[in-house]
Amino acid sequence: MSPVPSLLLIEDDDAIRTALELSLTRQGHRVATAASGEDGLKLLREQRPDLIVLDVMLPGIDGFEVCRRIRRTDQLPIILLTARSDDIDVVVGLESGADDYVVKPVQGRVLDARIRAVLRRGERESSDSATFGSLVIDRSAMTVTKNGEDLQLTPTELRLLLELSRRPGQALSRQQLLRLVWEHDYLGDSRLVDACVQRLRAKVEDVPSSPTLIRTVRGVGYRLDTPQ
Amino acid sequence: MTDTRGGLRGWAVGRRGSLSRLRFTSLRLRLVLVFALVALTAAVSASGIAYWLNREAVLTRAQDAVLRDFRQEMQNRVGALPEHPTQDALQRAAGQMAAGGQHFSVLLVGQDADGKTVYGSSGGINGFQLEDVPKSLRAAVNKRQKVTDSNEDPYHLYWQRVTDHDTPYLVAGTRVIGGGPTGYMAKSLEPEAKDLNSLAWSLGIATGLALIGAALLAQAAATTVLKPVHRLGVAARRLGEGRLDTRLRVSGTDELADLSRTFNNAAEALEQRVAEMAARDEASRRFVADMSHELRTPLTAITAVTEVLEEELESEAGGIDPMVEPAVRLVVSETRRLNDLVENLMEVTRFDAGTARLVLDDVDLADQITACIDARAWLDAVELDTERGVHALLDPRRLDVILANLIGNALKHGGSPVRVSVREAEDEVVIRVRDHGPGIPEDVLPHVFDRFYKASASRPRSEGSGLGLSIALENAHIHGGEITAENSPDGGAVFTLRLPRDASRLTEEAAQGEGGRSGDGDGGSGKEGS
Repeated sequence: MSPVPSLLLIEDDDAIRTALELSLTRQGHRVATAASGEDGLKLLREQRPDLIVLDVMLPGIDGFEVCRRIRRTDQLPIILLTARSDDIDVVVGLESGADDYVVKPVQGRVLDARIRAVLRRGERESSDSATFGSLVIDRSAMTVTKNGEDLQLTPTELRLLLELSRRPGQALSRQQLLRLVWEHDYLGDSRLVDACVQRLRAKVEDVPSSPTLIRTVRGVGYRLDTPQ
Repeated sequence: MTDTRGGLRGWAVGRRGSLSRLRFTSLRLRLVLVFALVALTAAVSASGIAYWLNREAVLTRAQDAVLRDFRQEMQNRVGALPEHPTQDALQRAAGQMAAGGQHFSVLLVGQDADGKTVYGSSGGINGFQLEDVPKSLRAAVNKRQKVTDSNEDPYHLYWQRVTDHDTPYLVAGTRVIGGGPTGYMAKSLEPEAKDLNSLAWSLGIATGLALIGAALLAQAAATTVLKPVHRLGVAARRLGEGRLDTRLRVSGTDELADLSRTFNNAAEALEQRVAEMAARDEASRRFVADMSHELRTPLTAITAVTEVLEEELESEAGGIDPMVEPAVRLVVSETRRLNDLVENLMEVTRFDAGTARLVLDDVDLADQITACIDARAWLDAVELDTERGVHALLDPRRLDVILANLIGNALKHGGSPVRVSVREAEDEVVIRVRDHGPGIPEDVLPHVFDRFYKASASRPRSEGSGLGLSIALENAHIHGGEITAENSPDGGAVFTLRLPRDASRLTEEAAQGEGGRSGDGDGGSGKEGS
């Protein structure tokens, strides 16, 4: 990871694109911009940015579809810019694999804070490894293997798994997880956690619909168990 | 058990049925009465006339036959007698006359040669006697008429109907012209009376049957009229209950069909009108939603840039011309206000469109309130009175919106210290926000939750968006909770927020209403793409 993070901003509105580029550049990011999903995907292959800020409403293929296409091959963090906080938008965005979202009109500082929080998730920590059944979490190498095979996890999914694995058998509330993983202030959208847990389960569980590792604790949150 | 209940219900239904029919009794009864009256009048007058004509015809025919015979017999038998016959001759003649085909009784009165009145009766001593003949008839028979052009004979045949011991008789009498005995006859009219009696009975029965038939017809007519009327009534009630798609089946071309058609047209017009109004309402809501939506794009750009300006303002280097600085500050603060306003407008349109959803989480109220106050730097101005460990299943973001609006409002209008207390009730939590300001004027109190309501025209307009309390109330409602405003007797305004401890029941209902959420999400992605 380079000391100056490079971002790819995909936004069709010229004014917003210019303004956000200005703002993010001043916050110390290197920003590349694209005006459509197609251009964005091309730029992504060429420039390999550390993170993508993606508008949902795009001409041609929309943000959700861009998000899905990126997720097919890549695990780099994606932050959605949604024009509405309509629930359906947020849910669809999270299901298509986004790590976080901000609602327009977005404040540059908030976006910057979110970007930095997402980028921090990929940072290594000096620690050992832990084993949960067939799942091995190597904290020093930041890798997760299942039955000896490497799992492709996004930084957010990895961070969520790390936070859960640090307190095995202990239930963590959604708000706790939002603070630990997403670094949201006291009010986070708990659907971020739910969506991320679902994606994580799809990757680590044998049968995602009947999880044995990441268990739901009704009314509280989630817990990582060692399967019997 | 079930059987008895079924029976009871059946009884109740039957009772309701008869009750509902009772409501129509007056019209039904009137119809039956009118029909019966018409039938009665028609039947009675028809039978009356028929009876009368028949009676006259029967009696006249019988009478004419009898009288012709009697006249004949008188001429044949009595005319053959000498002028002063003997008692025996008279008796014999009477017997012979009575033996004729008409079975009448005969009384002959004559004077024998000695001038003594002699009688000859067909029935012997106890038979037909002169006393049986009415005096007026005897007088008429024996009265000698003047012979004129129009009246050729001095004596005529007279008759009269009498009733003796309930048996009707025809009594007639005449004199033989040119002297001789006077003859009387009596003929029982009992067979004819019997015939007429049975005719009267038949007519009576026919009248009765006509009446019953009329009543049944009236009933049927009433049913054919009242059934559509009843249907119309039911349909009108349904329409009144708001089911505007109610229509009547139109059959036939009578007035009731016309009425049904009129009803249908009215219902259709009403439905159309309501649909138009709903569409207009929807359109204006959509307009507000679209407009606030459209405002976001430029606002996003402006917001991002104003932050750059703001940083310039705050930077030590002082990169901005002091002459321009107030202008930049104004732009920065007003942009923030515009942001809040658009944000609130969006929130309001979501509530209006019914797309607002709860995202529930287990919330520690003390933590949440502290965080809410802390995030807005209100810690110094707010006293929190709550025990720890009060939990509820709520939407934390919405609770934060409510709290921020209530506390912010209290700080703005009431002034510090603002006191926030949390209490647990049975299955709800009660949060009170009390300020120590002048309170809310009584005339403003009912409107504090109205959108864009300004307490007075003179109030500076820079205080909030005018939507805050309305949004707080909507957010409480979506939880199934409530906010009330009042003035404390000790001064200051008190807003009381009541929220259910567990709002998950509401979200489950909503989820059932729209059917699987993930399915919606997948379908929605395709739609949003265009």
